[in-house]
Amino acid sequence: MFVPSVTNPIGDFVRNLVPQVTAYLPVAFQSETLDSVVAFLINAVICIIAVCAVNIGSAPILIYMERKVCAHVQCRLGPMRLGWHGTMQTIADVLKMLFKEVYAPSGADKLMFYTAPMIVLIAPFMVCALIPFSKDLVVADVSMGIPLIIAVNGFGVLGILLGGWSSNNKYSLLGALRSGAQIISYEISFAMILLFVVMISGSTNLMDITMSQQGTVFDWWIFKIPVLGFIAFILFFISSTAEMNRAPFDIAEAEQELTGGYHTEYNGTPFAMFYLAEYIALVTNSALATTCFLGGFHAPCIGFAPVDNVLNMVPGLVWFFGKVFFMIWCYMMVRWTFVRPRVDQLMDFEWKFLLPVNLVLLTAGAAWIAISG
Amino acid sequence: MFPGLQLPELALSFPHGGMDIAFYAVAIVMLVTAVFTVAVKNILQSAVFLIFSFVTTAILYLLLHAEFIALAQVMVYIGGVVIFVVFTILLTSHLGEDAFATKIPRVFAAFALSIAFVFVMVKCLLPMPELSSGAVASAPDYSSLQNFAMRLLGYTQDSFIIPFEVVSILLLMTLICAITIARKTKDEVEKEKEVKQ
Repeated sequence: MFVPSVTNPIGDFVRNLVPQVTAYLPVAFQSETLDSVVAFLINAVICIIAVCAVNIGSAPILIYMERKVCAHVQCRLGPMRLGWHGTMQTIADVLKMLFKEVYAPSGADKLMFYTAPMIVLIAPFMVCALIPFSKDLVVADVSMGIPLIIAVNGFGVLGILLGGWSSNNKYSLLGALRSGAQIISYEISFAMILLFVVMISGSTNLMDITMSQQGTVFDWWIFKIPVLGFIAFILFFISSTAEMNRAPFDIAEAEQELTGGYHTEYNGTPFAMFYLAEYIALVTNSALATTCFLGGFHAPCIGFAPVDNVLNMVPGLVWFFGKVFFMIWCYMMVRWTFVRPRVDQLMDFEWKFLLPVNLVLLTAGAAWIAISG
Repeated sequence: MFPGLQLPELALSFPHGGMDIAFYAVAIVMLVTAVFTVAVKNILQSAVFLIFSFVTTAILYLLLHAEFIALAQVMVYIGGVVIFVVFTILLTSHLGEDAFATKIPRVFAAFALSIAFVFVMVKCLLPMPELSSGAVASAPDYSSLQNFAMRLLGYTQDSFIIPFEVVSILLLMTLICAITIARKTKDEVEKEKEVKQ
């Protein structure tokens, strides 16, 4: 009998542990099939809890961080009253949002209206399951990580379009269509940068991509290929910002023009789901940038043995989240620094600048591989 | 699992393990969403059900260990349907209303046709011995991305580099044609300039 299994180091550990525990049970309950079924169920629960913990747990932290970064950029203090330096503020806000009444506007397509937020959440959760947080901490160590990420990213735009259309509101519809056009365009350059990383590292598995950057800081893909790596990193940063609909590319929301875009009519839990999807996408895109360019969970060694030994004592998980939060800080600083372009400028930028540059970059990367062997 | 229980000897392989149960669950979801795709009157809802039907088809491919085909299914078809959704919103008016209803004789004819089709399929496919055996026919990494790519882009006797390149030229042609149709001619550009002045 075939029983599916979760292939990661923790999964192996549980698979080894379960037969040892069931050995104490009566003989009637002892069978290899039962062991593997139990091990699979335990592993599945562990995986679900891990993904939910990272995603849902990081959202309040990010909302607090966004408020503080925004406030300090604008020479304000941000939330200060509730708890030490306003740390309880986001928890209060989240609770308020979850206890609100959920209702749809009259004339809305109810089925689509309530399905849309769920569809939006598919992509970030799925991508989060693929990311190696440490040498042993990866939920799904699949061989086709990057194609899977490119494939599931399509769900985000679907959810946004459905949400905007089913709200029965012209501003929501305009926001959704703008967002659809934007994400479909920027998806191309996003996918191309990821293919560039696949090409230079020679694997589509995210764990292999991380392991190919082992060594010092100068073995990370951002520095390992002279100039090209840095250009690719900047292009990834731009296209992922547009992919996430974050400012300066937030023409889909543009609260001064569209009162909030595709989620204007949402409130309570469905709105919280849109909000959550936005912040999880921030985490997963930062984690992707970290995995593909900044060495993943490897310590930033500098090639000087005494220092490197100290750096390597810190666990990989800490390095990974350190890099992720540095990337998130960069995204936030960009958000509060640059102004929003017009719709046509945005499209021109993608089709007339980013796409040709990406094509040249792919060719140059291939040439670099051919020359360096 | 149950040593005392003997499963009856049937031509069909009945659910023996996780894989079979997964197959039947996925197949039922796929059929239900496919029926909803044609039964729902709102064109946008029908598109969404079509997407879920494609997703379950991709899961079926995954169960068959054809990973790249599954991902291509998600990438190409779901991306395509999303763009279709954009155009439905852009090009149709009165989208939310139940604008049309099919007449009953047509529904009856459709039912009769599909039942006849199912009958023929069952009658022809059930006796085939290959269907009743659940054995995996190919090596485990037969359809891995590396083997797939080497086969697709290799230039040995049994690989497909030339058809692949020909198809890419076809795609380029369609792209150029689309741009040619969509772009403004010189006269139109000059007219617009005159209007602006």
